[in-house]
Amino acid sequence: MKSVVTTVVTSADAAGRYPSTSDLESVQGSLQRAAARMEAAEKLANNIDQVAQEAYDAAIKKYSYLNEEGEANSTDTFKSKCLRDIKHYMRLINYCLVVGGTGPLDEWGIAGQREVYRSLNLPTAPYVEALLFARTRGCAPRDMSSQALNEYNRLLDYVINSFS
Amino acid sequence: MLDAFSRAVVNADSKTACIGGDELQSLKNFISEGNKRLDAVNSIASNSSCIVSDAVAGMICENQGLIQAGGNCYPNRRMAACLRDGEIILRYITYAVLSGDASVLEDRCLNGLKETYTALGVPLQSTGRAVGIMKASSLAHINNTNSEEYGGKRFRKMEMKDGDCSAITSEAASYFDRVISALS
Repeated sequence: MKSVVTTVVTSADAAGRYPSTSDLESVQGSLQRAAARMEAAEKLANNIDQVAQEAYDAAIKKYSYLNEEGEANSTDTFKSKCLRDIKHYMRLINYCLVVGGTGPLDEWGIAGQREVYRSLNLPTAPYVEALLFARTRGCAPRDMSSQALNEYNRLLDYVINSFS
Repeated sequence: MLDAFSRAVVNADSKTACIGGDELQSLKNFISEGNKRLDAVNSIASNSSCIVSDAVAGMICENQGLIQAGGNCYPNRRMAACLRDGEIILRYITYAVLSGDASVLEDRCLNGLKETYTALGVPLQSTGRAVGIMKASSLAHINNTNSEEYGGKRFRKMEMKDGDCSAITSEAASYFDRVISALS
């Protein structure tokens, strides 16, 4: 999975050399920035149920037709699956914050996303709305430091863009 | 290839759980102790040719048959191959130390190494001994415990801040042990 360290190691290996000073410098640079990401990951992990629930509620509020007979949020099973999907995205964002790259989202969230939603006949607009709600809901310094919030929002944007 | 962070992610994903609490705490330690790790990598990489040639020379000292006609280090060509392999193994160990995970070492170096050596007739026991010597001298370099008494004319001490490096030392030792057990 792609991260600063694996990128550095891959290129050093391709050249057949030991990690050079500049390799070590770039790893150190990523470690210095990591504290903010870890903070965001921790806050998100602690509150993931709440965050997902609020985002889900916002989406269903905007697209209330989804509750009607035969729509994607009509039964209890469907409702719990919708919430679970939002939670999956939040969990992948948590992973991306830990890794420091978009690898987990790319590999486990975005690859094949379009095909799955098409074949299940699911609308993507509610997902965008849910993530957009989470994007505006986060607040510094109430929820986390501004640097951490910045990292978190960046990943929310990344997922939102993947839906377009 | 994984590093300490993506290893945590892969483990958490298999349980569909978020990364928080203890796991996150150990990653935070990884970050705060990061400079020790980078110093460790640097001290192995900067002394690599010394570590490798010492290990191969030590292996031969203990088993002179290797450089006699018919031995596995006998013509220069085979001795050179031996030094090159020592350097390759040590290089993958530095990658593992840098990433905090053994996957790069396992996937790119150890996978099939024993079979290759068996097919080529490389003596596994001697190879393991050379890796053992590399382990001892690398750990001494990480801790900066080499002294003039042992180093003699070639004694060299890196300019590093002293501190408690027991965690990174035992981690590095575990990578060397992995190589040794993969070869035995």
